[in-house]
Amino acid sequence: MTVLQTPHHPAPSAAARDRWLARRRWARAGWLYAFMLLMSFFFLGPFLMGLLSSLKDDPNEYPPRLLIPQLSAQYIGAAYDLGVQGGGGGWNGGLYPGRTVTFDVQVRSPQGTPAAPPSVALFPYQPVSLVSLTRYAQARDFAQVQLTPTGTVGDVQAYRVTVRYPALTRQNGQRVTGELTAPEGDRLSARLESGRVVPLILDTPEAQAVQFSLSQYQPVELVERGGRYYLAGPVFERTPLQVDVQRGQTLVSSTLPPSDRQNFGRSLAYRNVTPGILGYTFNNYRRAFNETTNPATGTSLFFSWMLNSFLYAFLRVAAAVVFCSLAGYALARLNFPGQTLIFLAFVLFAQMVPSQVNLVSNYVLLNDLGLLNIWGLWFNGLVAAGGVFLMKQFFEGMPRELEESAAIDGAGPFTTFWRVMLPQAGPALIALAITQFQGAWNDFFWPLVILRENTDFTLTVGLSNFRALYGGQGDYGLILAGAVLSAIPVIIIFVIFQRYFVDTGADSAVKG
Amino acid sequence: MFRRGQSTATALLFLAPFLISSAIFFFYAFGRAIYYSFTDFNLFNDPQLIGAQPYAQVLSDPSFRRALANSLVFALVTTTLQTVFALLMAVALNNRLRGMAFFRSAWYMPSITSSVVITLIFLWLFQRRGVANYLVTQWQTYQPLILTFLIGLVVAQIIQVLLERRAGQPAGWFDPALAATSALGAAAVTAALVFLGVTGVREVPPFDYQYFADKWITLGGVQVLSIPLLVIIIQNTFTTVPTLMLFFLAGLQNIPGSLYEAADIDGATPFQKLTNVTVPNLRPVTFYVITVGLIGTMQMFDQVAVIGSAAPQQTIVTLAYYVYTNTFKAGAAPVNMASAAAIILALIILVMVFVQRRFFPSEAR
Repeated sequence: MTVLQTPHHPAPSAAARDRWLARRRWARAGWLYAFMLLMSFFFLGPFLMGLLSSLKDDPNEYPPRLLIPQLSAQYIGAAYDLGVQGGGGGWNGGLYPGRTVTFDVQVRSPQGTPAAPPSVALFPYQPVSLVSLTRYAQARDFAQVQLTPTGTVGDVQAYRVTVRYPALTRQNGQRVTGELTAPEGDRLSARLESGRVVPLILDTPEAQAVQFSLSQYQPVELVERGGRYYLAGPVFERTPLQVDVQRGQTLVSSTLPPSDRQNFGRSLAYRNVTPGILGYTFNNYRRAFNETTNPATGTSLFFSWMLNSFLYAFLRVAAAVVFCSLAGYALARLNFPGQTLIFLAFVLFAQMVPSQVNLVSNYVLLNDLGLLNIWGLWFNGLVAAGGVFLMKQFFEGMPRELEESAAIDGAGPFTTFWRVMLPQAGPALIALAITQFQGAWNDFFWPLVILRENTDFTLTVGLSNFRALYGGQGDYGLILAGAVLSAIPVIIIFVIFQRYFVDTGADSAVKG
Repeated sequence: MFRRGQSTATALLFLAPFLISSAIFFFYAFGRAIYYSFTDFNLFNDPQLIGAQPYAQVLSDPSFRRALANSLVFALVTTTLQTVFALLMAVALNNRLRGMAFFRSAWYMPSITSSVVITLIFLWLFQRRGVANYLVTQWQTYQPLILTFLIGLVVAQIIQVLLERRAGQPAGWFDPALAATSALGAAAVTAALVFLGVTGVREVPPFDYQYFADKWITLGGVQVLSIPLLVIIIQNTFTTVPTLMLFFLAGLQNIPGSLYEAADIDGATPFQKLTNVTVPNLRPVTFYVITVGLIGTMQMFDQVAVIGSAAPQQTIVTLAYYVYTNTFKAGAAPVNMASAAAIILALIILVMVFVQRRFFPSEAR
């Protein structure tokens, strides 16, 4: 070891030296904290950027902004109001029959440019989808738009856009919502929220005109009167509005900011003027669930992936807690011939060999057994070698006296394990459960190999499909929202059980 | 403790689920893979033994050679990067300061989220008009200011250290207290220069680099590392460093403090303490971290599968992905070739671990 000689100088007073050293210590701590903060940005930055951008209308906007309208109180309030006006409530939004929505637009037309009003229209929105999606009715075909000037201040003109959606029936009564069922001949019927299927009455020419254009699963509003149900009209999740200003004019402000500007800022698209808070701030999240509808059942594929992930993770954890602790205990505490061999071959060697080696055989085997689903996936990874290793390390660290006293009391190996050792293993079992949950939740290779039906996918496989289907079009809103949603469960578990994460493995591996 | 016969029976009973599932899904599968790798199996026919021909086929497949090269480059570069960064970060975290537990948790985040999620986020960050390119543009825009600041910092630091030394204080070149003052001074000077118009931001066109394209870093005309793979390396380092950091941290806490005190008495600098005390004492952990790193990086699959068609196949294909695509190729899949490639992959990993264990002893000297 090299030794540095302190250079000889006239020594300052002891007090001065102490002050100097203290100052140095403080500065060191300061630099260290600055460095730690910088690294925290590095490690959390991508997630924060992703989270923030998943809320944006356009996550690809360039240059990227950190302040986004979806998080401003003004626009969230406006979105709430518009949702209430549309009839769907402040949270969910949507446009319901018989409602009127007003939307304000201010346009600046400088001297010498035409002060003509902008043109407004509703436009269709058909989501691209993972599977051929149910074609829902479009607000454009049912509602009318009207533009009225409301005043001029200087060179700024204010206009009010009114979206009016007349109900298809003139009956009055209680409004109920439901969704259309598959039509039988020319008879329409709807399933109410209670699950009851009722025949629909189309009592006006307008209603009869749409009889054949509405498809199954279309959400509708009905008017109930005397036990009979009249179709008031389809319910729209969103009301897309387009505003085109004249040449030379610019948009000053509007109730909600435009989602998209085209044509040098003259064509302004509002993807939804009846959003509600969920439809405005959490639009991409809602899309992740709603735009992955399975046409066969009308349920959300994303939702089933989530359930599958939870089921798989739960099964893995349950199996690991039972089987890994049994195996780990046997390897750590029982004496039998072949102990070392089993440890080396089944635990260490198994962890070293890549899973791709077993790919073909396991696929063929599970295929023959008809188990290319969640159960086969579970069966394939029933007892994780890593979990056995963790439990073995833990049991090896426990005092011998526990077992000895149990043996003196006449307990057999099973009783000793069940009554004496396992109750002591709480922290290790929690650590095991957490690693297994995390492993199962994040598992990608085996689910990709084994799960063949898109209803059977886990979130990771589903998300990689999102990438293939939406990434090409640059629709990262949906992808980021899906990514954030799938990260949430592990993050929650991490926040609760932090110290187990941080202790897991590290200690046992270093000791071993 | 227990009678031996009874004990063996119990042990086997306890181990039964583990042994049975390993036997079916690991050893039987392993054996079958070896068997298939010597046959003409294509998932739909009855396998016939054809000797080592699949291996010859695989080795002469240009796609396999690319996968092999990519895997090896990826494993070596990533393992090196993650080991070095994990060690440095663990040393930084090992300071006993308030709030370290918070930072430790914050830094751990990339390790808990799935590789699929992180790959998706990285794909988005590294788009043509993405955050990565935006940051490069910002860096280019502010380059004059940053350079002015850095030059100011170095000059101020040199002046201050010389002054302190004349006053009799044993100030080092990297003295933190002086550096803080230097930084403040440099910032003030930069601000003044900007105000006077001597220096300022540059107008640069937006940096428009396409990361997921057929671009290579070449060495003597040989394509060594592709840019898409480089992005995966960055991402993989980002995700694995926190876990490995924890291993180092656990190891650091086992180093007796007296060693550092002795080094302090000998007047060692922080760098000398790192190379002469920390690194040798962490040898067993380093060994473990490198082993885990090599095993993990050689098997890298998720990122490639998620990126899939977004980047040209040969730029990111790895051995694990090669095995997967050959097993599930449309039509008759060359499963025998996939098995042969998988066996070769397994052998490489085993050899790597063996070599590392044999020639780089894990015990502290």
